Amino acid sequence: MPHRHMPIILVLALVFTSAALPALAHGSDGYGGGFVSGFTHPILGWDHVAAMVAVGLWGAFLGAPSIWILPIVFPLVMAFGAAAGILGLPLPAVETGIALSAVILGGMIAFAVTPPIWICAVIVGAFAVFHGYAHGAELPASVNAFAYAAGFVIATGLLHLSGIGFGLLVKWPAGRAVIRGAGGLISLAGIAFLIGYA
Amino acid sequence: MQILRPSCGGLAFGLIAGPAQAHAPIAGIEGFYTGVLHPFTSPAQALLIISLGLLASSFAIPKARWLLGAFLVASLLGLWLGFTPPDLDPLCFAIAFAACACAALCPKRLPLLAALWTTLGGLCIGRLSIPDAGPVPDQIITASGAIIGANLGLLYIFGLTHAIQDRLAAPWVAIAFRIAAAWLGAISLLMLALGSVQTGA
Repeated sequence: MPHRHMPIILVLALVFTSAALPALAHGSDGYGGGFVSGFTHPILGWDHVAAMVAVGLWGAFLGAPSIWILPIVFPLVMAFGAAAGILGLPLPAVETGIALSAVILGGMIAFAVTPPIWICAVIVGAFAVFHGYAHGAELPASVNAFAYAAGFVIATGLLHLSGIGFGLLVKWPAGRAVIRGAGGLISLAGIAFLIGYA
Repeated sequence: MQILRPSCGGLAFGLIAGPAQAHAPIAGIEGFYTGVLHPFTSPAQALLIISLGLLASSFAIPKARWLLGAFLVASLLGLWLGFTPPDLDPLCFAIAFAACACAALCPKRLPLLAALWTTLGGLCIGRLSIPDAGPVPDQIITASGAIIGANLGLLYIFGLTHAIQDRLAAPWVAIAFRIAAAWLGAISLLMLALGSVQTGA
């Protein structure tokens, strides 16, 4: 399509958007409510956000194959943690484990630690259990379970991808310094979570 | 302008269209269409078919053909045997998780394990395609639709995934499908756990 039509389409889209009336047909239950509830669960917890972004950031910092192995390992292992939370199996020190994940993963980035891939996978997988457990244990009873599960897995994955996107700055020397600085900030935030300041 | 003219023509034809009166020329054909959609009306079956599609597409086409064939045979066998465990949804979620784990962690490897998951999945889909009680011709039509729908769905997911990987010949495309498999696997495992809790309660 010629580009000269683009302004007209954009203006029409703006007019339609401006003229839209408030939707009154939404409920907090069913598929929509379940998805929103699951999607926002990892995003509204700063400790989850910090750790998820750190997973992607560390993967990008380490390069291939970690850049894709870590985001593959995390959700698969996280689901085991979530299953344990849903089933009510006991897991000690969940919040401590989540805070420690930010400390350790951020520290790995800040100090440019590059262990073998299997050690990276074990570290990330171990922390994934704590994050998954928290999501599973806090599953609201009223929402659609399938939509909730899809929402929180997708949100977790998108947080990883945002970390990977940021981590692609590693190609440049200045970007590498910025990423290590971000890792340090994540680690400090983890310490704040750990001692209860945040 | 080249696209606008045909679009406006299509819109005009769409607006002047009268009500269609040529539907359902074959008695009972509605059951067939209901059957075709049936595998995608429950999360357990839909997740299983998508997972097996991703697993099959992680292999090269010569090997994937065997997996697709195994699914077809197993689904027919499941329909014919009609085995009736109490609830097949947990088994579907478990197989979906196993298939996704294979597709995400070790694509193009472990073909025998892939064949096992595909066969078990086909058996489950076949069993779940057995319609409720009713006239036998209607049951046959609906079950045929369900088997065709499930196998077509698997074939389309496999074909689409392969087509995307062939067209966008970039390394990240295969990685994106592996990540998608990991996400689907996680959702399947969660559904399995949630189902266990609901069954226990």
